Amino acid sequence: MMIPFLIVLGVLVLFGILLYNRLITKKNQVTNAFSTIDVMLKKRFDLLPNLVELVKQYMQHESSLLNSLTHLRTQAYSQDLPAEKKIALDADLTSGMRSVMLNAENYPDLKANTNFLNLQTAWTESEEQIAAARRNYNASVTDYNDAIMTFPGNIMAGMMNYKEESVISIPEEERRNISASDLFNRTNA
Amino acid sequence: MPAIFSIAQMPEQDSQAALLELEEQRLAIKTTKLRSFYFMAAGVLLAAAGLIFEYQLPGIIGGALFLTTGFVFFYKGSSTQGDYVHDFKQKVIRAALLDINPSLRIEPERGLSIGETIRSGLFSTIPDRVSSEDQITGRLGKTVFCFSEVHAEYKTTTRTKNGTKETWHDIFRGIVFVADFNKNFEGVTVIRPKDAGAAISAWFAKNVPVLSSSSHQLVQLENPDFCKEFVTYSSDQVEARYILTPLMMERLCELNSRSEYTIAASFIDHFMFLAFPFDTNYFEPPVFKTLLDPNLLHDDIEVVSFMLSIVETLDLNTRIWGKK
Repeated sequence: MMIPFLIVLGVLVLFGILLYNRLITKKNQVTNAFSTIDVMLKKRFDLLPNLVELVKQYMQHESSLLNSLTHLRTQAYSQDLPAEKKIALDADLTSGMRSVMLNAENYPDLKANTNFLNLQTAWTESEEQIAAARRNYNASVTDYNDAIMTFPGNIMAGMMNYKEESVISIPEEERRNISASDLFNRTNA
Repeated sequence: MPAIFSIAQMPEQDSQAALLELEEQRLAIKTTKLRSFYFMAAGVLLAAAGLIFEYQLPGIIGGALFLTTGFVFFYKGSSTQGDYVHDFKQKVIRAALLDINPSLRIEPERGLSIGETIRSGLFSTIPDRVSSEDQITGRLGKTVFCFSEVHAEYKTTTRTKNGTKETWHDIFRGIVFVADFNKNFEGVTVIRPKDAGAAISAWFAKNVPVLSSSSHQLVQLENPDFCKEFVTYSSDQVEARYILTPLMMERLCELNSRSEYTIAASFIDHFMFLAFPFDTNYFEPPVFKTLLDPNLLHDDIEVVSFMLSIVETLDLNTRIWGKK
């Protein structure tokens, strides 16, 4: 009588441990995915001063836009911002930089500048990498949410006080699958 | 780019002359091969008649003589056929390729080595033997590419009464396309058809990662059509999504829909590998059909055009992500 009881108890304990570890792993994946976005954002913020300085020499008429970009960048570094705020700042920066890149079409000297072309390429690359990191984060969050909202994970998650996480909304431009080459009006074919 | 290439479109007159010369060779090979078949058939019939009508000794001797003569003719035909095949590829196929795109070159003896096939990670089973030929190299815009026919097999050994028996099984038969990818990446990303085995492996990789057979992580992507057709593994979740953007997934689905069987893809060492299963052995000259048929190269040209269209379909010439 005792042995079957112990076997059932052992199976239940093992199952509980596996479930607990699974939830911890998924929670850690979410944290890890968030830190990846943070690293990518820092890489992008580091690119900005060089781009703004270079563009300023050619685009005097856009000084207010460039100043606002510098201000946003300073904000991103001025305090220990939560990652969500950094993402919001990045969205503003992206929107501002899109305007700069589109306006660059009106400045042939700037368009011909090798440094500008290199920075533009680096910016595009970072944009794609951030988009990839964001999608990775959303996939991790979906996986985590599925685990804590479905049975029996929801019981364990309740005991661990795990709460549902929110996914990052994908900007309208990315949903429309806009290509960077369209944006820059420059296909290096 | 012509959709169908015919001998009337041969770019140079000497190519026409080469074709006529090859046709003569073909007829000679055809005659030799037919003779060999007739002699072998006569040998078998003679031996059988001898056994039936109780003239065993003359029947067997006569049959053996005819069979031997048939084999001699067959061997002669086969040795000449090697030169014929080589000349066909070097003259006719080469001219046709130049007509499609001046950068295209064929190297009939070259192909994907077993090491390269394993390194590509395209197949979940590691091949024990790879035969590959007819490598075509070229360049479209900034994209350098090559493709070759590949036949990858693995072997199983079973014990029998007389020792062991080796059996060879197909892993893949078709064309592997390799191109310089337009983005920088360091890791390994592999996309395989979602057959029953791959779906079970993917389930284990997701739900019981400890029991997963793959050395890489399962990547769960957002495109439902893509996920219905493929299973993706990668050494880096973010890098996999950097390569497989929503647009890239759509493009791969489009490419897959144009292929008869589900394709496989991998991204390794800055290169993109695509495996297209095919039943046909391309770029081979006929022996029993005329070379002067206007649609002689129809299938070959179609497959080359399809391979060239990959560069455009996947937008490999857009180089704005730091890769020159």
